[in-house]
Amino acid sequence: MITERRRNTELGLVVLGATITAAIYTLASLGTTADLPGDIGPFLGVVLALLVGAHLATRRLAPAGDGVLLPLAGLLNGLGYVWIARLDENLAALQATWTAVGVIAFVATLVVVRRTRDLERYRYTFMLVGVGLLLMPLLPIVGKTVNGARIWVGVGPVSFQPGEFAKIILAIFFASYLVEKRELLGMAAKRFGPLTLPELRHFGPVLLAWAASLVVMTAQRDLGSSLLFFALFVVMLWVATERASYLVVSGVLFAAGAFAAWSVFSHVQNRISLWFDPWVDVSGQGFQVVQATFALAWGGVAGTGPGLGSPDRIPLAETDFIFAAIGEELGLLGAAAVLITYILMIGTGLRIALRAQVPFNKLLAAGLTAILGIQSFIIIGGVIRLVPLTGITLPFVSYGGSSLIANYVLLALLIRISDDNAGIETPGRPVSLSSDGGP
Amino acid sequence: MPESLLTILKLCALALLYLFFLRVLRAVWAEMQPPSMVGAPGAAERAARTAAPRDTRSSTKLAVVEPSELRGRTYGLGEELTVGRAAGCQVTLDDSYVSQLHARIFRRDGVFYVEDLGSTNGTFLNTQKVSAPVAMKRGDRLKIGSTVMELTS
Repeated sequence: MITERRRNTELGLVVLGATITAAIYTLASLGTTADLPGDIGPFLGVVLALLVGAHLATRRLAPAGDGVLLPLAGLLNGLGYVWIARLDENLAALQATWTAVGVIAFVATLVVVRRTRDLERYRYTFMLVGVGLLLMPLLPIVGKTVNGARIWVGVGPVSFQPGEFAKIILAIFFASYLVEKRELLGMAAKRFGPLTLPELRHFGPVLLAWAASLVVMTAQRDLGSSLLFFALFVVMLWVATERASYLVVSGVLFAAGAFAAWSVFSHVQNRISLWFDPWVDVSGQGFQVVQATFALAWGGVAGTGPGLGSPDRIPLAETDFIFAAIGEELGLLGAAAVLITYILMIGTGLRIALRAQVPFNKLLAAGLTAILGIQSFIIIGGVIRLVPLTGITLPFVSYGGSSLIANYVLLALLIRISDDNAGIETPGRPVSLSSDGGP
Repeated sequence: MPESLLTILKLCALALLYLFFLRVLRAVWAEMQPPSMVGAPGAAERAARTAAPRDTRSSTKLAVVEPSELRGRTYGLGEELTVGRAAGCQVTLDDSYVSQLHARIFRRDGVFYVEDLGSTNGTFLNTQKVSAPVAMKRGDRLKIGSTVMELTS
């Protein structure tokens, strides 16, 4: 049956992914110290234990869920860990802990969310929590400013980025809100040539989302998240109403907002001028981007080899710029591998959305996939200077507890939706095992 | 550790990465294959469904009455027919008052029934709102959004 096939595929891929992670970890150690890592046995054991543990939980809790998402995420997580370990030992220990917490969060999400329609019921609670989390860093005592962006919240020794969780919670809210309102929002009122515009008042939610993302951008100075939230809302609105006019109007609004931000805020102007020409201030503000460009160039086709490059000269190489570090040491082939992993995950997410029968599930799957896609595009595009650089984590790869845990929750929700779909898919499915995709 | 050996190992690791993607693609490909008909539980039923309507389709039809520009268009009725705005419906109506999956018309023991599938603006049979499956007879008028269709034979 499809259930069994998906789970066997998952197990096979998870073991292969863990092996690849361990192999590259060994290579990185050979490269840096010319010696085998002392902890390779335990390392492989822990990676396998975490991934197989998550696999067993899926087998038990979402038996018909998609079988390739977890291995792909595990591979990204593993690759990220190798470079974090290679760059900073202390962060690696923390990242290992975060990975474990992330896997626990993954299992917990599968346990708590047995049916996605349970989420739909609490839409306004989710809205309040989402907006609350988003604005939390602005609070006077708990909010903290790190590297110019006010996106951290610290309570005692624990500090986290609430925005990472807000994105998932807001995706749930958008999905349930749009399911209710999509008929209304999709209604046509005026035609302008090829464009059919809905009534003006239906653009209210778009304006609200736009204003909220502007607040995030100006008050928290977090361009990446601001762009992510606005794009997420617009994409979900478009999927829900099938009206391209929302994309056009939002694009215009975005351009206007971006232009206004550019003319008012010096930090936005900085980002744009560094995007056009980072060489103006090579040793100052352009340093990071220039070093990343050098790293990617130095990597060439197959890279310098894990542990043989010097990605440590790039500031923040273990968080925002980890893509450049991987690109230097595994070259174009390795960087392309990271991109392929995201593309496969996004493709799988969209397939889950296409197959979903329940409108809420369809929208939520599309929204969660959009988060993954937009976020990886924003930061990879920033590192390779395709778009202006905005600091945001590379999902599953970058160092960061909040980001890792939130992304594992996102993954669990996608797998839950695909498990829900299978209940409807199964009747027409083949029983023949001849086209087995598993090991 | 000679550098050439490290290079070979690195290339092996990269090859392993791409092998991983090949396996993922193979798994995805296996799922995308259309279900094979042989031995599938629904196969016999599906074969019957495709063969049976042929003799009934010619007899009973839904003929569009309104809007006037679509008048004269007919839809043959088989075992089941879905009406909605979604492209997947057998009768697709491009009308914002029509839900994606609006209503279905199905046959039981030679009688056609219409059922509303939870549409926003309702389905009307001879101006009566359809709340549960209702039997239809020749000459009945079905109103969905701004489209009116008549059952003819």
